Amino acid sequence: MDFVTLGGNLLGTIPLGDIVLYVNPFNLFLFAVLLGFTALIAVSKPETQVEAAKFNTLDNAQVKVDEKEFRQRRFLSVICGIASAGAMITGDLFNFTLFMALVGILNIGIVSAVKQTSVLNSAFNYGLIAMMCSLPLFGGASIILASTGTLSLAVLSQMHASPMVVFGAILMLIGILGESGVAPFFASKAEMFRTPGSPFIVIIHLSSLFIIVRAVEILLLVLW
Amino acid sequence: MNSQKIISIIVLVLSTIAILACLVINLETWIVYTVSIFGIPAWVLSLGLLTMAKPKPEDAEERVKEPFTGY
Amino acid sequence: MNLMANILIQVIIAFLAGSLLLGLHRKIMARVQRRPGPPIIQHLLHSLKFFFKETGFPKTASKPFYIGITFILALIWIVGVIAGPVAHDSLLILFGVYAVYKIVEHNSGSSSGSPYGKLSCVRAVLSAATELPLFAAIIFVYLVTGTMNIGEIIAYQSVHGPLIFSIPLAALMFFMLIITKSPYSPFAITKDKVLISGFETEHYGLLRGFMHFSESIAWYVMLWVFLTIFFGPLTAVGYLVGMIVITFITGFINATTPIFSPNHSVMTQITIGAICFFGTILMIFTGVVA
Repeated sequence: MDFVTLGGNLLGTIPLGDIVLYVNPFNLFLFAVLLGFTALIAVSKPETQVEAAKFNTLDNAQVKVDEKEFRQRRFLSVICGIASAGAMITGDLFNFTLFMALVGILNIGIVSAVKQTSVLNSAFNYGLIAMMCSLPLFGGASIILASTGTLSLAVLSQMHASPMVVFGAILMLIGILGESGVAPFFASKAEMFRTPGSPFIVIIHLSSLFIIVRAVEILLLVLW
Repeated sequence: MNSQKIISIIVLVLSTIAILACLVINLETWIVYTVSIFGIPAWVLSLGLLTMAKPKPEDAEERVKEPFTGY
Repeated sequence: MNLMANILIQVIIAFLAGSLLLGLHRKIMARVQRRPGPPIIQHLLHSLKFFFKETGFPKTASKPFYIGITFILALIWIVGVIAGPVAHDSLLILFGVYAVYKIVEHNSGSSSGSPYGKLSCVRAVLSAATELPLFAAIIFVYLVTGTMNIGEIIAYQSVHGPLIFSIPLAALMFFMLIITKSPYSPFAITKDKVLISGFETEHYGLLRGFMHFSESIAWYVMLWVFLTIFFGPLTAVGYLVGMIVITFITGFINATTPIFSPNHSVMTQITIGAICFFGTILMIFTGVVA
């Protein structure tokens, strides 16, 4: 299968040696949305989260993000946005796995500056899963490289999928699911969102969701 | 006039001009798509920011004291 | 016809039809529950009315995001209208649109600083599992038709007959998504009444009206996509009848079922998704599907 049947007409390619970045309407949409969100994150102030915590009084507990924490988290969030935007238009399998791993690390980084123990616990659990899943992620990509001799999606999409490629793709899927913390693993990740700082936690959710969407496209390209 | 109102008027005028330009002239497809994707929501939002009622000055402080937590 | 005029007409149709269908949905729910219910036009009037209501932005809100997220909601569904009814482009774009819709639920909840919005935001992450059946449905459509292009899927169906007859379980998965997104749905854990209005709690006045505008378009686009990819080439009357019928069915389901607790909702969706997924795989490999 080629790019055209999957994501709409090819709008253009950016040849950088072997790594060909390509853009079709589907990739462009994901890429533009991610960059738009990243721009919004860069200019946003975090909200003050109100928690009805004090049950004996009429006051609400207000949780704020302090200045130092704010700068650090904003920096990591912007990098996370750019990394996932890169993963949307890359035409190289290994680049995609690298961006994926980077997003996984940054997701932990974004919440690691907060001081709520439950959130840190959940980030730790997620971190363990992400680390374990980096093995199948890179392993899958290297198996595909070893059995086909290429990592370029343009070439891979024209090839017939051998059993070894299917095996590599399944390993990669496991890796992606774990790294982005979806379906079977989301329970560890959901708690991470209880901290204030909505501009920063949105990129955690956004990056993993979009990488899953993109991963499906890539796996379809490789397998069919 | 506060800055929000000025920005809304500018966005409203710009988006109206952009949409009308695409209606009158036959531009390239991608330009029309970009204009409609950004122009239509911008038009509706800026129009809304102009038509919405403002709280009275003495109530203004009270109105932004959300969120409401049920007490 | 001029492309811009086409887009504008489609957006206005989507807004009006979506509003009226959502009004009809409310009416049906009320009648099933033996209440008179508001007039069908009420949802449309509400959306317009909110534009003239007094609006303030909470002190605690994360400002650019608080307003920006409503803009993004409108933007993605305009993309939905363009990729769907206007250009008949790739189905994957609509999937991307739906993924951003989840992000909007997530962020409009958390950006206000409201505790209810925050809970809705955490639930939006949990309910991300509802994505998976949609994926599966889209992939099955691809496997059967060999294309992701909506125009080509329509062409395929005009030759081979509607896809609902060849992959009914995939259609069921897609229909689950429509139920999930309908108002007062048993799966709408992000809009549970325990959380006031969920992620929309702090978006009042103009911003609520703007969100209603986008959600009306969203309802129209989702029904349009469902009818188009599973019921083959339809005329305008066909679409109208199909949308009213689906609104009736979802209205009946939502009127008679209570809302699930978050874990039950996610488990039910995953279970139905898994059954349909393996059922369709079985049908494809045993040769029931051509």
